[in-house]
Amino acid sequence: MSEPLQNSCRKLLTDGTVQVVIGYVKSPVDSDPAIPGFITKPEDCQRLQWNDLCDLNLVTYLSRPEIKKLGKAAIVVKGCDLRALAVLLRESQVSRENLYIIGMACAGQRSSAAAAENNDAASGTLATPYKCTVCDAHQPDAKLCDEVIGADSVKNEPVEESTRYARLTEFLKKTPEERFAFWKRELSRCIRCYACRQVCPLCYCNRCIADRNRPQEISTSATLKGNVAWNITRAFHLAGRCVGCGQCSSACPMGIDLQLLNLTMAKAAEDNFGGYRAGVTELDPVIGTYSVEDKEGFIG
Amino acid sequence: MAGIGVFICWCGENIARTVDVKKVAEEIGKLPGVTVAMEYKYMCSDPGQTLIRNHIRDDKLEGVVVASCSPHMHLRTFRAAAAREGLNPYKVEMANIREHCSWVHQDKERATAKAIELIAMSVAKVSKDKPLDAIKIPVTRRAMVIGGGVAGIQAALDMADGGIEVILVEREPSIGGKMAGLSETFPTLDCSQCILTPRMVDAGQHPKIKLYTWSEVEEVNGFVGNFEVKIRKKARYVDTTKCTGCGNCWNSCPQKKIPSEFDYATGNRTAIYIPFPQAVPARPVIDAEHCLKLTKGRCGICEKKCAAGAIHYDDQDEFVTEKVGAIVVSTGYQLYNFRAPETEKTKGYGEYGYGRFKDVIDSLQFERIVSASGPTSGEIRRPSDGKEPKTVVFISCVGSRDNNKGMAYCSKICCMYNAKHTMLYKHKVHDGEAHVFYMDIRSGGKNYDEFVRRAIEQDGALYHRGRVSKITEEGGKLIVRGVDTLAGKPVTVEADLVVLAAAMVPSKGAEQLAQKLSVGYDQYGFLSESHPKLRPVETNSAGVFVAGACQAPKDIPESVAQASAAAGKVLGMLSKEELTREPEIAHIDEKNCAACFACYRTCPYNAIEKAEVRDRRGNFIKMTARVNPGLCMGCGTCVAVCPSKSADIEGFTDEQIYAQIETLL
Repeated sequence: MSEPLQNSCRKLLTDGTVQVVIGYVKSPVDSDPAIPGFITKPEDCQRLQWNDLCDLNLVTYLSRPEIKKLGKAAIVVKGCDLRALAVLLRESQVSRENLYIIGMACAGQRSSAAAAENNDAASGTLATPYKCTVCDAHQPDAKLCDEVIGADSVKNEPVEESTRYARLTEFLKKTPEERFAFWKRELSRCIRCYACRQVCPLCYCNRCIADRNRPQEISTSATLKGNVAWNITRAFHLAGRCVGCGQCSSACPMGIDLQLLNLTMAKAAEDNFGGYRAGVTELDPVIGTYSVEDKEGFIG
Repeated sequence: MAGIGVFICWCGENIARTVDVKKVAEEIGKLPGVTVAMEYKYMCSDPGQTLIRNHIRDDKLEGVVVASCSPHMHLRTFRAAAAREGLNPYKVEMANIREHCSWVHQDKERATAKAIELIAMSVAKVSKDKPLDAIKIPVTRRAMVIGGGVAGIQAALDMADGGIEVILVEREPSIGGKMAGLSETFPTLDCSQCILTPRMVDAGQHPKIKLYTWSEVEEVNGFVGNFEVKIRKKARYVDTTKCTGCGNCWNSCPQKKIPSEFDYATGNRTAIYIPFPQAVPARPVIDAEHCLKLTKGRCGICEKKCAAGAIHYDDQDEFVTEKVGAIVVSTGYQLYNFRAPETEKTKGYGEYGYGRFKDVIDSLQFERIVSASGPTSGEIRRPSDGKEPKTVVFISCVGSRDNNKGMAYCSKICCMYNAKHTMLYKHKVHDGEAHVFYMDIRSGGKNYDEFVRRAIEQDGALYHRGRVSKITEEGGKLIVRGVDTLAGKPVTVEADLVVLAAAMVPSKGAEQLAQKLSVGYDQYGFLSESHPKLRPVETNSAGVFVAGACQAPKDIPESVAQASAAAGKVLGMLSKEELTREPEIAHIDEKNCAACFACYRTCPYNAIEKAEVRDRRGNFIKMTARVNPGLCMGCGTCVAVCPSKSADIEGFTDEQIYAQIETLL
């Protein structure tokens, strides 16, 4: 499917529909996952690739000022990435008319982070990430895309809610004490590099609250107190917004299972707000929207 | 920040009894930045304020903390005192060591320690206070009155006479309201129409009053001083600019048997009609439900008869938007529907047979029957057979003061109009009997009780203190079974006519209007005033005022008085070029705002706008949320919901709150 993608992008750049294509290009190391590429010339389109090494969520680049500056962009997205883009559109971070969306049918990806999760850290080992095992978006939502490539290659199968949250359900079998001990152990390893924030398509604030000092909302030192404050705050900011693309876990150099934290909030949104799923439900964001049907059990 | 003065009040014994104020002053004096800390018996008194002012001047204070009662009580007092000495009033903070401390504690030692902590928090806050300026909002110097009854007319005339332009919106074809249909008024028995219709004409002809009849308020946008009200001008099918009010149309209309709303169905009207001869404007409307031309496409007589060519059968609803600075709501009342209650909250009075017995009517229908302009031209004739009733029973409190029917309140005017009705009846039917069943007689007011006594003593009305249990019909008579609890006996009256004094309820649609205006209302739908004693015509929605029976049951004098009061408030408000308001509202750091618009969706006052940041050449830089200072009430919801912490409340910044919390850690 690389070729139709390259052809399509070449045409877009040649006829001036877009000024830049954000897509996947081959890593300098052959067997490594693809890296992001920002193609501005039609002749460079042959560098674009599409295979099962394209786990990165490129949507995160759309809200970057340096990318916005390049002009109208075409972006290559998987079905899961497209959900993050849907949230950005809803939160008016990108304007649809300034965007050309190329949806890729995707049978599943492989990543090194997933391999590390499986305790298979040998260099070059790749494994299937959790999101792909519970995927119900092999086909990107065609009505959000300008173009879908490989439309007939895969089909979307509904995935039960219980399956989607199987990991979390398993984790919740532990006692609260055990869970707290787990998170204390995990979060104490955080080195506050903020890679999770940089890679997240939905962390787009110009100035993150972690960088504010008047007042200092979050202690900046990499102690347990500061780390808990940072990671919990980030999880809260993603409540009802996180689409589960798993980039945070992939990017974390300390291998902290941040996705599990976000999964907790996603389930809370789905359970309490009429099955709300970020990037899937066509409603305004859960936070900041009131409906009389909202559960109020948490009051009193 | 140095130069903080802390002034600790004893509040007489209120604080000093439980808090060791001397020790507090001593401890607070040791805090960094505090230049002076002192106690005094009454800080709010003239010498107390002078003390504060002297220290501001002599010690060159940059911030003041007054530790005393609730800011609700005296913050304005102390801010004004500071301002007179040249200190920015928003650099004055209060620590509430009365309600939050001395009044709720007994242990003096611990209360003293708590007082010290509370004051230390305020010291931390004042040290980060920035000078603020009161917000100035431009004002549209026009007002709107919604509801053209006597209250609305009075308010409109008072305001127009005061020199401002008034928009008067009335949903019926004519202004005049309930009062236009009344016969004579208590306690003077002067003719209602004789005193009202000249006022209606004044309102209709006043150069400063713009009249919208047969119109309803559709939508209200904006805020105090700057409202934009969308008005629906219902299709009238008559061009009021061409129409001369000659009457050819309604005199020739073949549909003559439509129950008249103005006569409460005691009389009939035509399909093209004016509600009553003195209507203002004297321009008819076509009742689209009954007009043969509009329903069946036949007839068209009125169009042929109209020499002015004013009839337009293809007329449509129209929308106009008016900009006003203030709104007076005077939507009035209606009688509670005791036959078929419209809400689940209220229940009916099936036992009185209203609707089943033609000669059981309500008080407003009786008003039409005794009115000289009514369907019987003032001759008292009962609806069933047109005969003069020789025995009439008036029943008080039908619905009012009856929790079981859903209305616990007294409708206030019924005792008076019942007495009036007996008198009007007796003056016309000299040999008739007028019975009144009542619970209590409530006749407070100038010349009111004298009036009731006159009905009983001079006109011979028969008053029975007790309730009526049931009314049945036998041989053309209404058998009214009641009790006289003073005599301790059951009373049965064979009546020819029964008049029910039904409870007053807010007029239909009042709740929906209140929602459009963000005005509160009680469980019955009466609009809520801001304060029952001190702000009786204001509402909690700035710039919106109430007058008349939409706020609570009222008689004419009270409604008129309240209307004039509301007009006075509006005139006062609109006498300035701009309004000022407290600056403690939200502020968005537009540079930092990520434009996610969580605040936009959350704000309960719709005070957040989506705005563009542009450079000096007009190039677009970014989107941002922006606060409309006219609308923001400073609730802080945006601050809580903002992920990038770009929203803050002036005078209550996160930085200040954190500083306060840190003094406790």
